[in-house]
Amino acid sequence: MSQFTQQVILGLLLGGIYVAVALGFSLVWGVLNIVNLAHGALVIVGSYLTWALFTRFHIDPFLSLPIDAGALFVLGYLLQRGVINHIIRAPLLFTFLLTFGLNLVLVSLLLLIFTADFRSVTPSYSGAGLHLAGVTIPYIRLAGLLVALVMAGILWAILNRTRVGAGILAVGADRDAAQLVGIDLRHLYAITFAVGAAFAGVAGGIISTFQSITPTAGDPYTLQAFAVVILGGLGRVSATVAGGLLFGLIEVLGQSLPGLGSGYANAIAFVVLVLVLVVRPRGLLGRLA
Amino acid sequence: MRGKRIAPILAGLGLLLTACGTANNGGSTATSSGAPIVFGAAVSLTGAQSKEGGLTKQGYDLWLDWINQKGGIVIGNVKHPVQIKYEDDQSEANLSATLVQKLITDEKAQFILGPYGSAATATDAIVAEKNSIPMVEANGAAQAIFNKGYKYTFGVLSPANKYLTGVIDMAATLSPKPTTLAMLAANDNFSVEVAKAVEDYAPSKGIQVVFSKQYPAAAPDVSGLVSQAKATNPDIVMNSGHLAEAIAINKAAKQLGLNAKIFAYSVGPSTPDFISALGPDANYVYDGSQWTPQVKYTPSFYLSVADYVKAYEQKYSSSEPPDYHVAESTAACLAFQKAIETAGSLDPGKVRDALASLDVMTFFGQIKFDSRGINIYKPMVVEQIQNGTHYTVFPASVANGKPQYPTPPWSSR
Repeated sequence: MSQFTQQVILGLLLGGIYVAVALGFSLVWGVLNIVNLAHGALVIVGSYLTWALFTRFHIDPFLSLPIDAGALFVLGYLLQRGVINHIIRAPLLFTFLLTFGLNLVLVSLLLLIFTADFRSVTPSYSGAGLHLAGVTIPYIRLAGLLVALVMAGILWAILNRTRVGAGILAVGADRDAAQLVGIDLRHLYAITFAVGAAFAGVAGGIISTFQSITPTAGDPYTLQAFAVVILGGLGRVSATVAGGLLFGLIEVLGQSLPGLGSGYANAIAFVVLVLVLVVRPRGLLGRLA
Repeated sequence: MRGKRIAPILAGLGLLLTACGTANNGGSTATSSGAPIVFGAAVSLTGAQSKEGGLTKQGYDLWLDWINQKGGIVIGNVKHPVQIKYEDDQSEANLSATLVQKLITDEKAQFILGPYGSAATATDAIVAEKNSIPMVEANGAAQAIFNKGYKYTFGVLSPANKYLTGVIDMAATLSPKPTTLAMLAANDNFSVEVAKAVEDYAPSKGIQVVFSKQYPAAAPDVSGLVSQAKATNPDIVMNSGHLAEAIAINKAAKQLGLNAKIFAYSVGPSTPDFISALGPDANYVYDGSQWTPQVKYTPSFYLSVADYVKAYEQKYSSSEPPDYHVAESTAACLAFQKAIETAGSLDPGKVRDALASLDVMTFFGQIKFDSRGINIYKPMVVEQIQNGTHYTVFPASVANGKPQYPTPPWSSR
């Protein structure tokens, strides 16, 4: 039984990472209708930033998270305002193409700057964990989950308790009406994308502590973010949280099914996704469009 | 009258002198420079295996500099300078095959040097066979490649089934003897072969396999599997996969408190990245290696082991000696060089036959191919990371260190 509890805990911890990665992705998708295929690359930029700060200035990875957020915010704002904004009213396919290309450029730049060497952030406390009743909870992972939940809380507060957030929600609801009431669309689009990128950067910072990073390591995360959004739904922060935690649980529990190799974990996760799409297309907690 | 006769005499003298001059040059091996020999290589310079692909290219380029500095490969009396044309297969096996065909058809590659990884090697081998162009590869150890009856593909490295069995042999000599083994394997053709070979071999040495699971190659999270492995209390924990997964499993083992007496990973610990990524957590880890800078081979041509290490450190401004991926890639070039020289021709069929009957000792070890085309004559060695440095610990005849056994628990490090 404690083995099962351990798997559930690991699933929730992994889910925390997926929540962190998916928050920014779902914000950009829900409000701007952009499926950002470069999201994983932004995550990895955050990872590299944390790694660079850790190795050069010995800044603890968790303390570097606000720096990641700030830097990625600026990057995201510039990217949106300078590049993506030009096709904001174009059909969805164009945003796919553009963000796909952006992903290639970012990854190649990272390869040039950092090369393909695997890097890892290993702070002194990286092995420590809570040991309770036969179950181990690594501190780093627990911290990652807590940061993810705090991020969700911050996003909710931004969206529901600030003027900027109200603007973002307005633009997401009806962009022309929002313009009519005087909202500067371009600026708000850029802010939204920047917030999404900032969250991606923080997620990247967390990821660097337990995974080795290399420029191409971000691509799987784009896919996971996509899956989390489908599972949980768009339109609400709680949807992303629920989707992320559930996806993490499915992946880890899928690996432990007796008799099956863990290759089936991926298959199981995506079967669940297809079921959700068929039975409840708006996701578990998503708002209808 | 005299002036008219002097001119032809002078001309004749001139010609004589020129001939003498050329003859003098001909006194040292070859005289003229022939057409360049073009090799083609599709290597993973980007993508999930870009690190290992980069090491492969380093191995090829080291030999390229050396051979061109000597003027090229000698055929008869002519030195042919060498060109290697590279394409980036982005770590995609199918793209690799397309690029090899392009190298042969458009870029006129006469011979093919192998890619990184068994997956891409398997697809490239099909193209080499179809075009009847010899390919010598150094980074695809899966025996599945060589069980298809191809005539034009040769592998200078030891096959996959030998990768971790050396660790089992070593474990059998240690005391207290480990008795249980957990195997986590990626599900690509190379890793599965390595894992299966260990699982078949271990019981014969009294080691029982108590856990064995596969995961999708390049899976982002392995903590669930590591936790399951921990529940079976293994003495030996092995991973058959690649660098990223080895790092992830080692980290997860530390975080979840999996304390084994032996941690052995097939690929990963031999690369410098493993130590720099993990720091002190990398200590005590074993791996099976195709080659280490400590091996004692006396080569019949090309550089000695020590000179090779020096050449590498100089060319790539590295304080670390080359890892085995670099060395085995150079060995592939050496096999081609010797085969072309022996065949005395650039005809693909003749070079292929020369490769099939090749038997030569190099800094990398013996290069000789069995009837399937894979080098079963060179042994694998076992390395261990001790205090941030690699030591060859088994077999004793080539070792420069002793295994630090058993691995202390994480909490007391």
